[in-house]
Amino acid sequence: MAILTIKSLTKYYKDLRALSEVSLKVKAGEFVTVIGRSGAGKSTLLRCVNRMIEPSSGLIEFDGIDMRSLGRRDLRKARTRIGMIFQHFNLVPRQTVIENVLHGRLGYKSTLQGSFGIYSDEEKSHAVDVLARLGLAEQMHKRCDQLSGGQKQRVGIARSLVQDPRLILCDEPIASLDPSSAKTIMDHLHRISRDMKITILMNLHQVDVAIKYSDRIIGIREGGIVFDDEPRRLKKKIVAEIYGSDADDILFEESPE
Amino acid sequence: MTTGRDRIRLRKPTASSVALDLTFLALVGLSVFGFFAIDTKGLKTGPAAAKLLSDLVKMFAHPVAKHFSLAEAIWAMLLTLGLAFLTTLLGAFLAIILSSFAAKNLSKPAVSNALKLLVAFVRAVPTILWVLIFAIGAGLGSVAAVVGMTFHSFAYLLKAYSESFEEVGGDVVEALKASGANWTQIVCQAVVPSSMSYIVSWTFMRFEINFANAVAMGAAAGAGGIGYELFMASGFYFNIGEVGFITYLILFVAILLELGAMRLKARQHVQR
Repeated sequence: MAILTIKSLTKYYKDLRALSEVSLKVKAGEFVTVIGRSGAGKSTLLRCVNRMIEPSSGLIEFDGIDMRSLGRRDLRKARTRIGMIFQHFNLVPRQTVIENVLHGRLGYKSTLQGSFGIYSDEEKSHAVDVLARLGLAEQMHKRCDQLSGGQKQRVGIARSLVQDPRLILCDEPIASLDPSSAKTIMDHLHRISRDMKITILMNLHQVDVAIKYSDRIIGIREGGIVFDDEPRRLKKKIVAEIYGSDADDILFEESPE
Repeated sequence: MTTGRDRIRLRKPTASSVALDLTFLALVGLSVFGFFAIDTKGLKTGPAAAKLLSDLVKMFAHPVAKHFSLAEAIWAMLLTLGLAFLTTLLGAFLAIILSSFAAKNLSKPAVSNALKLLVAFVRAVPTILWVLIFAIGAGLGSVAAVVGMTFHSFAYLLKAYSESFEEVGGDVVEALKASGANWTQIVCQAVVPSSMSYIVSWTFMRFEINFANAVAMGAAAGAGGIGYELFMASGFYFNIGEVGFITYLILFVAILLELGAMRLKARQHVQR
């Protein structure tokens, strides 16, 4: 069953067309990676899903809800089921790890409780569990500015997991991490999609990483989809087309068939 | 090369740099002209300078407190500090509530621009003038001083706070918005905590400014405190030694405040 359906999605920034007639379906529990050059529209596509960017036209259906028809209140409610993690982690540096994780619950809380940071015992113990699962149990009371990049990103993942999301959008989650932290993060995300059946839609720059982890790869060029298939069908020629350069200039190993 | 060594320029003259140079030259010219155009009313420069020097020596070498005791002086100083503290607190309270409406990333452009324009206007008028304006309604004295100084502090801090909100808030605002949090929650849970160090240092900075203002208010607006004693000593008793004494007292407190600010900054630097 498709959890996310996008039909003829188009986005204009003034006269500039960032996305043109993008259509795709994502199945529940699927790990989908979007690749493409900087400025190809990957980030816009991701942010149109939870309407952090307003699409110009087209249909976005998440979990049976027509996202574009929602008013402000209902949109906030729908967003609680969509987690998001970012290249720069986007945490509050002066607050502790657990405080940052609990921010993921704000969408479920009343204005007053949320503003004063009053969380229930269930919410707190859920947050502690999630942190333990990500190997951050000992860092719980550390301030986020004392963590390494990889740890910060795990806090970001934990924040999205306490939302009980059905879908997690990942915007270049490993672009500012060293290779070993990047692998840890990708392994965690992979486990989340496999064990918790949470759908992942991710932007990536590293083609080899995309091939290793994804169930499906979507290639975007100049705002349009040029490839949408399993990783093993991604050939050098196609990668070259996506990135608009000579095939030989790209660091990437074709999978043998 | 035929001309020998060509100079390599590090900067090319642009229209704005030429304009800047011309303005600077004009200002220098005006200053020199102004110096020669002073009407001294027959005052001899030599003896006048000597007199000034002897007065300064009397002021700072022989400070005395004649018309008040040390306890009274400390009490007056506390009054002045109290005025500075109260107006900073009130201004900060108003500013922190309204600055989230003035920050571009948290508010609608129209609201943000309107608020910023309003406080720019309030800031453009000096504090002392606001006090005198409020004195029309409240009469010269402490009430006018409190209202006027609060007013200006509010405008100053609103600009400072809202700009730090814009600077630090961006990332986290996006993350919490995406998770379904509402505006009030985002401001309280993310924006204010992440800009706390800016808020603290701007507020303390304003406290220092308000201390200087409070001294002036005592003298000019009859708000009491050490400023009033200074005004009496210089303008009423003509007691130069007493002026020196009060000046030393103010200097001492200002240095204490400066030291406090430095410690505060050092602590935050470690924390950031």
